Amino acid sequence: MSLSAATSSPRTRRWQPYLAPLGLFIGLAALPFVVALLSGQSPAGVLANEAGSAKFIQGLLIEIMILAIVALSYDLVLGITGLLSFGHALFFAAGAYLTGVLLKSFGWSLGATLGLVLVSAVLQALLFGVVLPRVKGITFALVTLGLSEVFYIVVQSRELGQYTGADVGLQGVPPPDFLNPTSHRLTFYLVTLIFTFAVYLFYRLFVDSPTGRVCVAIRENENRALMLGYNTFYFKLVVLVIAAITANLAGTLHALYQPVISPNIASLNAMVDILLMTLIGGLGTLTGAPIGAAIFRLLTFFLDRWFGESASFMLGVVYVALVLFVPYGIVGTWQRRGFHLAAGRRWLLGLLTGRGDG
Amino acid sequence: MLRKYRLQLITLAVLAVLFIMAIQGMSAKDGLTIVIRGLSVGAVTFLVASGLSLIFGLMDVLNLAHGTLFMLGAYAGWTIYVRPDTVVDLIPPLALLLVGLVLMPLWPVLLGRLGRMPAAVWGWLGLAMAGVLLLISLPSIPIAAWSARDYAQSPVSYAIMLSQGQLQFPPAEATGPLSPAVALGGVLLAGLVLGGSLTVLSQRHRGMRVRGQATPPQSPPKGRRISLSHWERVGVRATAAGLLLLAGLLVLALNDNLTAWLLGLGTNWLFGLALIGGTLTAAALGGLMEMTLIRPLYDRPIYQLMMTLGLAVVGHELVVALWGRPEFTMPKPALFNGVGDGCPAESWAAWLELHCSTILVLGGRIRVYNEIFLIIVGLVVLVAVSLLLQRSRLGMIIRAGVQDSDMVEALGINVRRVFTLVFALGAGLAGLGGVLAAPSIGLSPLMGESVLLMALIALAIGGLTSFPGAAVGSVLVGLMEQFIIKYGQIGIPLPFLEEPFKPSPTLVPASTVLLMVIILLAMPQGLFGRTE
Repeated sequence: MSLSAATSSPRTRRWQPYLAPLGLFIGLAALPFVVALLSGQSPAGVLANEAGSAKFIQGLLIEIMILAIVALSYDLVLGITGLLSFGHALFFAAGAYLTGVLLKSFGWSLGATLGLVLVSAVLQALLFGVVLPRVKGITFALVTLGLSEVFYIVVQSRELGQYTGADVGLQGVPPPDFLNPTSHRLTFYLVTLIFTFAVYLFYRLFVDSPTGRVCVAIRENENRALMLGYNTFYFKLVVLVIAAITANLAGTLHALYQPVISPNIASLNAMVDILLMTLIGGLGTLTGAPIGAAIFRLLTFFLDRWFGESASFMLGVVYVALVLFVPYGIVGTWQRRGFHLAAGRRWLLGLLTGRGDG
Repeated sequence: MLRKYRLQLITLAVLAVLFIMAIQGMSAKDGLTIVIRGLSVGAVTFLVASGLSLIFGLMDVLNLAHGTLFMLGAYAGWTIYVRPDTVVDLIPPLALLLVGLVLMPLWPVLLGRLGRMPAAVWGWLGLAMAGVLLLISLPSIPIAAWSARDYAQSPVSYAIMLSQGQLQFPPAEATGPLSPAVALGGVLLAGLVLGGSLTVLSQRHRGMRVRGQATPPQSPPKGRRISLSHWERVGVRATAAGLLLLAGLLVLALNDNLTAWLLGLGTNWLFGLALIGGTLTAAALGGLMEMTLIRPLYDRPIYQLMMTLGLAVVGHELVVALWGRPEFTMPKPALFNGVGDGCPAESWAAWLELHCSTILVLGGRIRVYNEIFLIIVGLVVLVAVSLLLQRSRLGMIIRAGVQDSDMVEALGINVRRVFTLVFALGAGLAGLGGVLAAPSIGLSPLMGESVLLMALIALAIGGLTSFPGAAVGSVLVGLMEQFIIKYGQIGIPLPFLEEPFKPSPTLVPASTVLLMVIILLAMPQGLFGRTE
């Protein structure tokens, strides 16, 4: 009469939440080979970087995963900690531009570039941290939006044009040979995949850690967390630093993968896209962010194909409808319903065994 | 007094010192020109920021779609100004559609005879049906249109034609297969169905209070128990609907005469009509937005913000789809567009005779429309809205609502109606600003975003909920912008650079954002904000 979860030891139960991601990881790592087999290519061709649907799928998945990392980091800020920041595009764009400029104009190696990107990520988080204790709520959203707009404007300006390519965008970033997305697509794909899952697992561990619990408490009721003796400022700062580092690294991947870094990735529209991805998946769920990113990317792909020019209009309509009708997103709605399913199952079991009391 | 406003006074003193430093090296002519230009930019920003501040103060909704309303107002005004024939063609279907919406109070009576309210599904079905009806009938009604794709028919060429004084319109054409009479009947039917489905949906949602818990939906009044006053209201509505119907049909019958009359009015009167039309369009859109999309979200603040953000994107794409992506101009009305001998005018008396586009003040050329007219309108709006807020009953409710809207509602005032009114008022002000700004900055789908950024900065500087703060913030932002533009020409000598630093025009908005960040770091509540 006991359910399987009750018999399993606490040790296995602790690992259970990580089993599904692990399976997905293995599946995604094998996917290019499976696609190659299905489309009649030989799996060896994937290793040899042959053109074909396997390569296309890898490219699409790389884009989705880069978006997923950004959405994850935004979910940590808004969904878990409840910090209404509209400047998240800044983190992503700054990472992309810094990587691009250092690799192209200064000829730095990838390692040194990564080091400086990390430093600049921490600095960006500290910049937000300066604003943090002074303004709350919507004013914080405004100030962060303002900061990211400054970046958007400065990047497009004539003064920095020789480095950033002004409003055309930064072109011709030379990726290091072993990580070249055109000649070593599979390596790039696997690196992105590993990084995405590392970020997800780290975030999951963080949210389940005592620090992460305090962050959730801050979202639910900041005054109460303060009363309990937590200095909420440091917790928010830690979240910002983590989110900034991940989003900056996603920017690095973006810079290496895309042929052009457009200034639009720092614009208000990019912010709306990040919000949309997090919303589709479900705010504060972490699992929702990658799902949202995947759906968003596929949605833009198909809307572009079906509606052409008016694709962004349809995307806006989808967004408005989501806010109105599916505010908890896919994962959020699923979790709520899952709760009812579990209760119903218990009720049914009780009824069958005659131990239920109505 | 001095202690209480210490921070404000220090900030203002610092700003004054900066201002004097900025103006120091310039001639009186340059300084005056910059200040006047700054004030005029401030006036346009103020028209947007004032509505934002009213809406945020009363409803705690930061309307990120406000720039889009500004833009829609501008494009609607442009359409009235340049293509009056299209507007005349659009009036009959719009009036017929409105008939159904005006008759909405009749529906509870009809549905009351059913005994119970139909399920929400019927409301959604009705909405879909109305949409399909509109999609079928609208193409069959002859409407003169421009094309966003074809250059010869695009708004760009019409704007050029008008500025050269040789406007020519193609005749109105219908693309659908139905006869116009049937199509108009379809629109009328669509309006009625729309009204009915909206009634069903709003009855279902009536349980949802503004910020409280939901109460179960009420059953509609039974047919017999309807009081006389209700019938009287229905009578008023029916009369209004009849008049609308009549007006629509009249416009349809007199279409050509009306167009000719409008075109004969001359640019000055048309511009006046454009101002009114743009304001009303934006106000209607704002009110509609509040009633349908924002109202369900009052208990979920973050989602409101996301909703308005999404609406901004939708509005932007709508403008791109209808009017196209390229930028175009709105020629100035004749009153401000004189050229030729004696221009620029040397005195006001000369200007009154010649209506020059520029006037000489202290030796500096000042554009009459851009710099003087805009500032005057901004001042008029400032005074009018202040009077409305301070002296009228509505203003009293708004001010009380800014303080504590739950309490106002507890006193038995229909706050929801006030919310809609204020949203429409704010949107209308933004639309007015859009039409006013269009002749000086031109129309482009990006105008909304940039003005929204300016208004948000002005609002944050002035204190989010403060109406005088919005005015002061707008002026500060406008001045800042113009000074940076001027320094882009003459350069700022910096100690560590050999050449003076000349910020390029693209950097100008960044400077205002920095001004906001600095002021907010010193005074998180803004200059006039409440400290909580």
